[in-house]
Amino acid sequence: MGKKQKAAGRKQPAADKPQRTRVFVVGESPLVEEYAELCAAKGYQVFMKWNKAPNKLPTFSSKAIQRTNSLPAKTSIAIELTNGDREQKQNNLQMIDRTLPPTAPIVSSSVTISATEQTTWLKQKHRLVGVGALPSFTQHPLYEIAPTVYTPKETVEVVQRFFQSLGKEIEVVQDRVGMVLPRIVCQLVNEATFAVQEEVASPQDIDIAMKLGTNYPYGPIEWGNRIGFQHIYHVLRALQADLQEDRYRISPLLTALAQTGEWWKKT
Amino acid sequence: MVKYFGLVGAGTMGAGIAQTAALSNCEVTVYDVNATVLRQALERIRADLKKGVEKGKLTQEQANEAFGRIHPRTRLADLGHCDVIIEAVIEDLRIKKDLFKHLEADTKPSTILATNTSSLSVTAIASAVRHQERVVGMHFFNPAHIMKLVEVVQGQQTSSETLLQTVELAKQMGKTPIVVKDSPGFVVNRVARPFYGEALRLLGENVATVEQIDRIVRVAGGFPMGPFELMDLIGIDVNFAVTQSMYEQYFGEPRYRPHPIQKRMVDSGAIGKKVGRGFYTYEEKK
Repeated sequence: MGKKQKAAGRKQPAADKPQRTRVFVVGESPLVEEYAELCAAKGYQVFMKWNKAPNKLPTFSSKAIQRTNSLPAKTSIAIELTNGDREQKQNNLQMIDRTLPPTAPIVSSSVTISATEQTTWLKQKHRLVGVGALPSFTQHPLYEIAPTVYTPKETVEVVQRFFQSLGKEIEVVQDRVGMVLPRIVCQLVNEATFAVQEEVASPQDIDIAMKLGTNYPYGPIEWGNRIGFQHIYHVLRALQADLQEDRYRISPLLTALAQTGEWWKKT
Repeated sequence: MVKYFGLVGAGTMGAGIAQTAALSNCEVTVYDVNATVLRQALERIRADLKKGVEKGKLTQEQANEAFGRIHPRTRLADLGHCDVIIEAVIEDLRIKKDLFKHLEADTKPSTILATNTSSLSVTAIASAVRHQERVVGMHFFNPAHIMKLVEVVQGQQTSSETLLQTVELAKQMGKTPIVVKDSPGFVVNRVARPFYGEALRLLGENVATVEQIDRIVRVAGGFPMGPFELMDLIGIDVNFAVTQSMYEQYFGEPRYRPHPIQKRMVDSGAIGKKVGRGFYTYEEKK
């Protein structure tokens, strides 16, 4: 205790240590920006790398965010956020696995590829924990995480503490493609786009109906726009491949939206 | 502007719709074959209006006037003068078709005949009458006097004029109408299917527990209730029946396929809050 107080006189107090903890965030836009902002806001030093930089580079509110091409030394935790490009995700994870100290955990989005499958790409299999990462889900007060068969309790606890330090609650779920909320929300959006395609009602009216008729927080089309139809498409395609079920068939309209961006807004 | 409003079937939905119409200055004739049901509906409306006054949403005068505009009847022919008639009877196609046949015979040619069906085809109901262009769906949500949404359903033969007048009527009643094509589940019951269906599959695959799924959906997703809490509230039997009906009406579309957990719960009698046990137990109802 005495030592800690002495140290506090010279440096910052122990409680402020997270300000110096280094986090490496790599993957797709806008997930990388969202996680970088979130970590920086809670005092972490963030090093970020996009798979492909967005056309319009964002301005970050924090100076604690730095772009990098490689994983910096003394990084304590790495976050991999690729949902759409399997090969790129594998490359990112293998680069992290080679560079990051073996005791440091890797948190990796596992909505399209299970965390267990991702461990097959790693030498240090014990340190990977899946997270339900989709654009805009970063704002949620609760995150889903999925340990694998290799993940020891200690690693899960470290990851839990990390998310708690970001002000998030945690629910530990089984490691499956789609996890819980992404699977439900993506299927709601899919069903709504089937209904739009069949001209059951307009996209605007479907959103009104679901908000007024069932008190959903967002209309499904509005939710699709928030998350990005491309991301929803990736989750549904992964669910279809993983579960081999026709119920995850993607509506042709959603496919078109994923391919062309904001297509329906223009019509 | 609709002045004379008819309501057939004085159950919970019927009473809520009648109350809403009376509050929007319509003279409301409420028909039910059963005089006791009619009396109970009037008592329910009076109690709800009283609650409205207590909460400051209505003045006593407005409540009295609205109640005075509701006229209970046990003869169908007494609806003959109405501009619009909405039926809220049991969800049975044969009964509804029979009712519409009688309504067509008893009303003027310009009367709009609306059905509050949530699961039957408006087109199929309309097939019972000669002038199908005046038949339309007007799907209210429970409790009808509170929920803002009305799905205005255009049957195969519903005329644009009927559709427009119904949209205007919904607005007159202080509702937010959306126009929907006649198809199974319309919008809300259809688009909401994955909310329950995926939750049941997640449970069946042991991805998470009932409590976890509900917590994730509520806390992370921002939904007011988790899927299992909501199924317990609606009634697991009711939810199962709607899912089965959707599945059948779409000729086996896998997106609407019910889950064995639903059937098991129904078979065991654990059908939700109304019996004290469903996905959760409710001690006070034991």
